[in-house]
Amino acid sequence: MDRTAEDSAEEWLSPMVDVSGLSLDDLAAREDDSALTRSLRRLAAERDEPGEPIAGFNSAL
Amino acid sequence: MRTFRLTDAAFGDLAAGRPSADTVDLLRRAQASRHLLLLSAIRKLGGPIPEPIDVYDPMAALHTSATLAALHAGAAPPPPRVSAAHELTATHDGLTLRVRLEDTDPLRARLGLAPSRQLLPAEVAEWQRLLSAGWVLLTTRHRAAAEVLAAGLRVIVPVEADPGSGGLSATSAEAFGAVAISTPGDPHSFAVGLLHECQHSLLNATTSLFDLVTPGGPRVCSPWRDDPRPLSGLLHGAYAYLSVTRFRRTEAATRVPAPRRGPVALTPHPLPAETSVAHLPAAEPPVLTETGPRGPAAGSAGLRGRLAEFEFARWRAAVAEAAGTLLDSGQLTAAGTRFVRAMRDEAAGWLSEPVDPRVARLAAGANAEHRARWRLRNLEVDPAAVAELVAAWRRGAAAPAVPEAGLAADRGRQLESSERLRLVHRLLNEGDHRGRAGSGLRPGDDAYLDGDAGTAATSYSKGLAFSSDLDRWSGLAVVSSHAAMRDRPELVRAVTLAAAEAGEVRNVGPEAVAAWLSGSLMSA
Repeated sequence: MDRTAEDSAEEWLSPMVDVSGLSLDDLAAREDDSALTRSLRRLAAERDEPGEPIAGFNSAL
Repeated sequence: MRTFRLTDAAFGDLAAGRPSADTVDLLRRAQASRHLLLLSAIRKLGGPIPEPIDVYDPMAALHTSATLAALHAGAAPPPPRVSAAHELTATHDGLTLRVRLEDTDPLRARLGLAPSRQLLPAEVAEWQRLLSAGWVLLTTRHRAAAEVLAAGLRVIVPVEADPGSGGLSATSAEAFGAVAISTPGDPHSFAVGLLHECQHSLLNATTSLFDLVTPGGPRVCSPWRDDPRPLSGLLHGAYAYLSVTRFRRTEAATRVPAPRRGPVALTPHPLPAETSVAHLPAAEPPVLTETGPRGPAAGSAGLRGRLAEFEFARWRAAVAEAAGTLLDSGQLTAAGTRFVRAMRDEAAGWLSEPVDPRVARLAAGANAEHRARWRLRNLEVDPAAVAELVAAWRRGAAAPAVPEAGLAADRGRQLESSERLRLVHRLLNEGDHRGRAGSGLRPGDDAYLDGDAGTAATSYSKGLAFSSDLDRWSGLAVVSSHAAMRDRPELVRAVTLAAAEAGEVRNVGPEAVAAWLSGSLMSA
């Protein structure tokens, strides 16, 4: 699993690529990009280890 | 391709629950990006791609995630989206919130709670009324939080209320910007519920970018749940309640007089039981009322203000404690450590702010009771250790050291539930009056509410040698003068019940056992 920057870093770097401005065809054309591959691998790991649902806040007093 | 990044300052502000508009926008783009990557994975597998693609819609993201999971499982993809047509809009003080009230999407149950049936027009109108009123409160007194909501919240999914609780809400990591929530009792509850859930959404988006907690840590006591929680769950609770605490802090400051210089002269407040807090104007001049043994009663300072003060005092300590648990766990990444330190620092900055002494006592009591209840409910003492302790008791020997109790078998998800806490809420809501909350209803509760720990302890202890009553044992743990009772109530209960069962009736009682354990075991 990719990790973020070390403590005291000026920036925290995510392993996830910003593809928000791209289309699906753009993504398909870049599927050999290593950063994209890392992002997809991270997403697959998330799927294998789904978190618990966060539910139950009781807002009534 | 460029990866997402946050400056350390922006990351710290996000962790403190005060993300900038740019940070919220980055998280939205990150979620859209994630959505697009999931769609590309579906396309590779030959699955269905919706048209048009709306990568920013939380329910569309939920469908995409469910479709990909189905493809991987070899199952049929979920039914297509059916979006509701109820668009709610609230505008106040130049800020607008636009959300879709989602009562038709076939996957809306996947936010974690049972969804309501399709709404009637009058019900939609009621949601709009509540949202408009809640929005006035948020934009007027909680502007920064309102701006985050306006930027991030897109969908509200109405869900069924739980008969045993006042209000429920939920979020899903697969639907950034969607909140499931039961019909709020009032705009105030709606506002705080939305803030709470949006914090979960922000944290979900953050953890999709940065690992904060390493997997495999222990399940621990969370101040917000009666069942053991993973560290990631504790982090979610703490982060969500950071925003709730800030909200209560502001509400308390608005409704309760700020400077308390020394003892306040208080007078009896003959408040009738049926008085509705809804009729109390928020800006009413502050007047504290109290004389006699009752301690500070709620007065025209605003009953809701007393409750807000209680919630503020309770949750600032709980968030700081949870952050401490996380930092001590050794399970945080570098980013997680930075994040949780910023959370802790934010909450710690509130710890020294003055709170009415009685409210502070009740808030500390509520947190102590929660810890005791959690231990009594979830920890199991080794039977061999109990037998050893009972044997020592019968011999009149000192208590031998025994290992800490371990987690009992998983009993499932459990929201906090305490009759005593309900009494405290009622007291703070309704104030002191004849027949007030607790009066004569349960032994010990009046004394507890009044701060008479000795009387409360005596009352809670009666007959407890033969009872595992969770409510009384946890109450005793709060008021007991014995360290063992406060810190290891599950051990005191196990030994007391076992000794009584073994025929050691004489002199066996929880307080006697607690004193015995405190005298030797706790000092070991």
